[in-house]
Formats: sequence, C-alpha cells, structure tokens
Amino acid sequence: MGTKKFLTGLGATATAVKMADVDVITSFPIRPYTGVMMILSQMVANGELDAEFVHADGEHAQLSICHGASAAGARTFTGSSGVGVTYAFETYSPISGGRCPVQMLIADRTLDPPGDFGSEHTDALGCRDQGWIMGWAETPQEVFDNTLIYYRIGEDPRVRLPQFNCHDGYFVSHIPGEVAIPEQSQVDEFLPPYQPVHPLDPQNPVGHGPQIFPDQGPALEAMRHNAMMAAMPVIEEAIDDFGRIFGRKYVPFVEEFMTDDADFAFFINGAHAHTARYAIKHLREKGVKVGLVKIRFIRPWPTDALQENLSKFKAVGVIETNSSFGVARGGGILTAEVCASLYDAAQKPLIASFMGGLGGEPITLNEFFFIAEKLNKIAESGKIEKPVYWLGFEE
Amino acid sequence: MKSYKVEIPEEKLLPEAGIVKAPPPNGEQEGMITGCWRVLRPVIDREKCTMCRSCWIFCPDQAIQIAEEKMSIKLKYCKGCGICANICPVGAIERVPELDFEDGVVRLEKLF
Repeated sequence: MGTKKFLTGLGATATAVKMADVDVITSFPIRPYTGVMMILSQMVANGELDAEFVHADGEHAQLSICHGASAAGARTFTGSSGVGVTYAFETYSPISGGRCPVQMLIADRTLDPPGDFGSEHTDALGCRDQGWIMGWAETPQEVFDNTLIYYRIGEDPRVRLPQFNCHDGYFVSHIPGEVAIPEQSQVDEFLPPYQPVHPLDPQNPVGHGPQIFPDQGPALEAMRHNAMMAAMPVIEEAIDDFGRIFGRKYVPFVEEFMTDDADFAFFINGAHAHTARYAIKHLREKGVKVGLVKIRFIRPWPTDALQENLSKFKAVGVIETNSSFGVARGGGILTAEVCASLYDAAQKPLIASFMGGLGGEPITLNEFFFIAEKLNKIAESGKIEKPVYWLGFEE
Repeated sequence: MKSYKVEIPEEKLLPEAGIVKAPPPNGEQEGMITGCWRVLRPVIDREKCTMCRSCWIFCPDQAIQIAEEKMSIKLKYCKGCGICANICPVGAIERVPELDFEDGVVRLEKLF
C-alpha cells in the first residue's frame, strides 16, 4: 500500500499537509522552514491541494490569520524558524487558550544575534509555556507521521490545542530520507475532519477571548491545564491507532535504545539522536554499557514515564542543543525539566548537562564518546565533577 | 499513568476559554460600566450637527448611537476620550467638565 519517496523534512511536511487536506495556509519567508511554503504554494497553484494560501506580512500575521481561520472552523497550517518563531510570540497563548488547533511547523534555527541558519532548539523551546503540544521529529519519515499525528491529537474534542511540529533545521528539513507515503484512504481513516466546538458563525455569534476580572482567572487557567493533561491519554491512543493503520509503531513519549543493562544513558531530543545511536553501537562493541533515551514530546512533558525510565541508570547525560542563559544549574532547558521529573523518584541518577550542537554544529561521534567517558566516571565514582560540559571546549 | 488533572469546584467553573454567546449588537454589559471613568462629557450641538455619523464610526466603545434621528451618546459607557469631539468635521461636539452637570458622574455617591 502506498509509495516510497525520497523527501526532505520539508517535502515530507508538505506531502502530509496535502494529504491532511488543510484549509488555510499562511506563509512568510524565513530560512530554513521556508521551503515548505514553496512546495505548498506549487501544490495549491497546480490544483493538487484546495486551500487558501495567504501571504502574511510577518510571522505575527501568519499566526493571527491562522487563529481567525481556525476559530471559524478551518484546519490551518503555518510555520517558521528562529526569530520568526519569536516574532509571533504574542499570538501563542491566545491561540492555545482559545482552543484553536493550529499546527505550526518549526524547522529549528538558532536565534539571532548574529544571523545563523544552523539548528538550535531554543526557538521552539522558548515557547514551551504557551500551552501548545510540542515535539520533535528525527527523520523525514517521523516528520510526515508527526504532521498527521499532531492534527489528530490537537483536534481531538477532548484536547483542542495547537501543536508545534518541530524538527532540526537543515539536518532534518533539508537532508532527504526515505518516506513511506500511505494511501489517502489510510490518512482519512486516521484523521477525521476537524469539528470545532464554538466556531465563529454569523448565524450563531459567539465572543472569543473576552475581558475578565482576576477572580475568574484561576478557573480558566485550571481548565487550560486540564486540556493539556487530557492530551496524554489521547497521545497514547493516537500513536496506537497510527500503528494499527500505517504499520509504524512508535513509542508515545520516551524511546529507548540499548538501555537494557546500561549503567548510564544519553538523554536527547531531536536529530542528534541519529548520531547518538551510532556512537552507542560503537561504545557497546567496546563493552561500554550505555544507552539512549529520546524524548518524543516536550509538551505535555511525560514526567511519570521519564521518572520510570531514568531511575534505573546510575548517571544520565542530558544533551542540550539550546540555551537559557542563567538557567538553574547552568546547563540548558531540558536538564531543569529532567531534574524536576526525578525529584519524587526513590532512586535518582546523577545528572550532568552537555551543551552540544550549538549554532547548528553537528555533534560528532567523538563528542558522544567524550560524553560517555564523563558519564562513566560519574557512574563509577558516584560523584559529579562538573554539572555542565560545553562540547568542543573541553579537554 | 498518574493524572495531573486539577479538580475545579462546580461553583467556580466558567465557560470554556471564556467563550460566551455574543450579546446582540448594541447590547449592554452590566459587569463593565465605564461611564463613571469620565471627566469631560461630550455635548453635541444639534444646530451644528450634520448627521455625518463620523463620531459614530470613530467612537472606540460604540458609545454613540442614532436615536430618533439624532446622534445620541450613551452616558453609561462613554469614557470621555474625546475622539468624537476631535473628529467632528464641523466642531459640533464640545467636551464639558462633568462637574458642570447636576448628574455629573464625578458627583454621584454611588457609581451606577
């Protein structure tokens, strides 16, 4: 069933967006995500995709147009990278609080200054508090699949939240890989049409986002929190159903590789997991007991699954391809959340951060070997020499 | 999987996302009466007024209506911003201190 194509992450996104029969697409150019809009605009022009293609006059406008369209009942798609993502920042909370399941592709790009097209996750991670579902794809196949899965999760009547469909700029967005493209009937079975609950409708007017008094705030925030919590079982259902229909069975939240008898593990998000697996295979051949733990959803963060998975290691190295200058413990964003996840665990691994891939540099096999060496020392000695290492600057 | 859902007491529940049925056009909102914010009241000179409706279009609060073929200001909601006076092409609107009126909002003991 279906065909196989060699597609970049952007090509895979566009193909999935077409098969999801999106209604409104808003575009504004910024590298590296911009290629997806080139492909989608051609599809619309050729009549392959019946959608409103709007040239917004900026990323803020892209999101605002999607907000309105989604509130009226359209399935919407937009995207950006780097400072484009931060330019639209004001819109993220209104869209998630308004329960509009907009999907936004974020092909990561380092934030300015200066101009750097390489991939860092800070652009997307900086928006993690805005109430959007968020996760990374590692390969063009995963990008294709996530596009469909995220619409399914976000549009579920129990959830109705927007989604950041993230993948590393260039490493995933521009390097092609094999993508199995399903039949349209399979997509239609997995992804039903979007049914909004309170659409903007002239026949039945409603007011979205009214002014409130502070005493109404707690309940509204709690309801938003519950919507995000409701996403967790929906994610499991969606991944399960995806496996049944398309034959690719993903683990919903936390993917493990060679962790069975591992003393320590690399904790990672995104494309560098690809290199990490090669490094682990090499290290295992040398008798080093190391494994990989890859997180698939940053929001909702799988606290319990992580607590369960990470507790068994003596040491965990969190690989950070992001920056949050002045963050607790001096590493990156993920370490703070990993530490919080383990706070209530009976058994906690020793944790160190490894700042890697910053600026869009690849994380090399040698750098992974370095991380393994440090974690090995931590696991054996039971002591953390340094909580944070910056790869490439250490001896 | 533990549920991190929060229990919200029934009496505190609100419509989801604060979404409510829209009031009819020119409907009133008793919870947000803003006329008491006013310090300068717009007064329309009927002789000069040409019924051009500029004040009606520009009022940011829809506090100007057309009642019985005259431009009429809803004093319950007019905040006294003065945009109408500023925009009137014939200068038919004057901004008069609330203190000058018997029923001036600054004189009220109980604000609406």
